[in-house]
Amino acid sequence: MTRHDEPANNEKMFHFRITDVGIILLSLAISVASLFLFQSLDGADEVHVTTDQGQWVYDLSVDTMVDFTGPVGTTTMAIEDGKVHVHKSDCRNQLCVLAGEIEHGGEWVACLPNNVFIVIKGSPEVAGEGEVDDTSF
Amino acid sequence: MTRRSDIDIHLVALLSAVALFLSSIEYMIPKPIPFMRLGIANLPLILALGMLTWREYFLLALLKIVGQGIITGSLFSYIILFSSVGTIMSAVAMLATYIMLKNRVSRIGISVMGGLFSSLGQLLISRLLFFREATYVIAPLFLFSALISSVILGIFSELFIKRSAWYASHGENRL
Repeated sequence: MTRHDEPANNEKMFHFRITDVGIILLSLAISVASLFLFQSLDGADEVHVTTDQGQWVYDLSVDTMVDFTGPVGTTTMAIEDGKVHVHKSDCRNQLCVLAGEIEHGGEWVACLPNNVFIVIKGSPEVAGEGEVDDTSF
Repeated sequence: MTRRSDIDIHLVALLSAVALFLSSIEYMIPKPIPFMRLGIANLPLILALGMLTWREYFLLALLKIVGQGIITGSLFSYIILFSSVGTIMSAVAMLATYIMLKNRVSRIGISVMGGLFSSLGQLLISRLLFFREATYVIAPLFLFSALISSVILGIFSELFIKRSAWYASHGENRL
């Protein structure tokens, strides 16, 4: 590192050191790594459900209806035509039911009072040109 | 023990005033996601390295958190948890980088380090308390935007230090 220890010279705009490059590369590496953290599952989309009782995995392509119990009661999740929604929940504000359907990797719906968290893991939505986000009507 | 007179109160006050001003500028800039920040309010923290003792430096960081909380109106909401953890982690990271590497690192490296730890801190809070698993979805966006804005901030700091007559007269090394 000694060759970088030259005295300050005013002609240079600023001193860009080898350490700076290292730090930027480190930061870039962590950023890129975070991209793969979530998209490790490709192809078949899975529905991951986390509750107080544990974690379950369902196939998004198989229609089903499941009950989960949490601190305030029962939350019923329904998988229908490759889409997931909370069918019924014993929570007070019903935000999870109002959240509607999710279908793409990375999307989630949760019932916070009942501690039920539903997330789709798999290929994320590839936004096509001119595609309208159906949640922002 | 540090007596009150040992703290350069004028310099800390000036730098935190700059942070307060930059926070309000930051607040004006529209952002696609509520939690996203450009981090321009961190500029005083980047410049202060070498000007302040570590006590003064953390005092500045604390004042920045409070100032930012007042400007954005989030001082008494859960959002303050994000900004305080982010600021404290980035302040510690930047100070440590500066002390350990001194002349071997420019403000660009220091700024990137601060940006990285600020977003890691906020993602940690998000993972532990709020968004749980969904944190992984926002993580890449968070980290990439922090990297880009911190490089720009670092370049600006280098240019400022190089050109500013005010910095030349105050930038004595007290650390």
